[in-house]
Amino acid sequence: MAAKILANLIVMGSGILIRGMVQAYRQALQNASKTGVAQETLQNAVRRGSKAMTEQEARQILGVTEQSSWEEIAKKYDTLFERNATNGSFYLQSKVHRAKECLESVYQKNQPGDPSV
Amino acid sequence: MTRQEAALSLGVRESPAPGKVREAHRRVMVANHPDAGGNHYLASYINEAKDVMLGKTKNSGSAF
Repeated sequence: MAAKILANLIVMGSGILIRGMVQAYRQALQNASKTGVAQETLQNAVRRGSKAMTEQEARQILGVTEQSSWEEIAKKYDTLFERNATNGSFYLQSKVHRAKECLESVYQKNQPGDPSV
Repeated sequence: MTRQEAALSLGVRESPAPGKVREAHRRVMVANHPDAGGNHYLASYINEAKDVMLGKTKNSGSAF
């Protein structure tokens, strides 16, 4: 008899607990979407998924325009890379490197052989 | 920009000692200054990183 009551109590208790947790999770999700945390996470996930930076961002980072020649880009890259290696930050240096890689592939597509200069 | 990204950009910890942020900002800004081979995009990026580290801006609604 006592065991039956105890089992009943445990089942009921765990049911209430689970329902409460689901509600709390839903509320947390709502709060996150209100403050924009979820959207930022989503954007980060998308960015990480695609991995490569856009050509536009790469051009902005190196400070070159659509009309710039590959030599110009290489020159800017060398300057920025060197300066960030000596007393800049490693993160920005890698950003510069990624930007060059991105533009390299673009230029290789347009004129085969040119970026290897 | 997230705080983590800002800390990486300036080369400091996510909760740096006071004064470290300004010092790091100065160092990175000198390296990437528009007058010396840098460009305005990187300069504004560094400025924003500093603002994030000093808690002057909210992390949401960033252009970066």
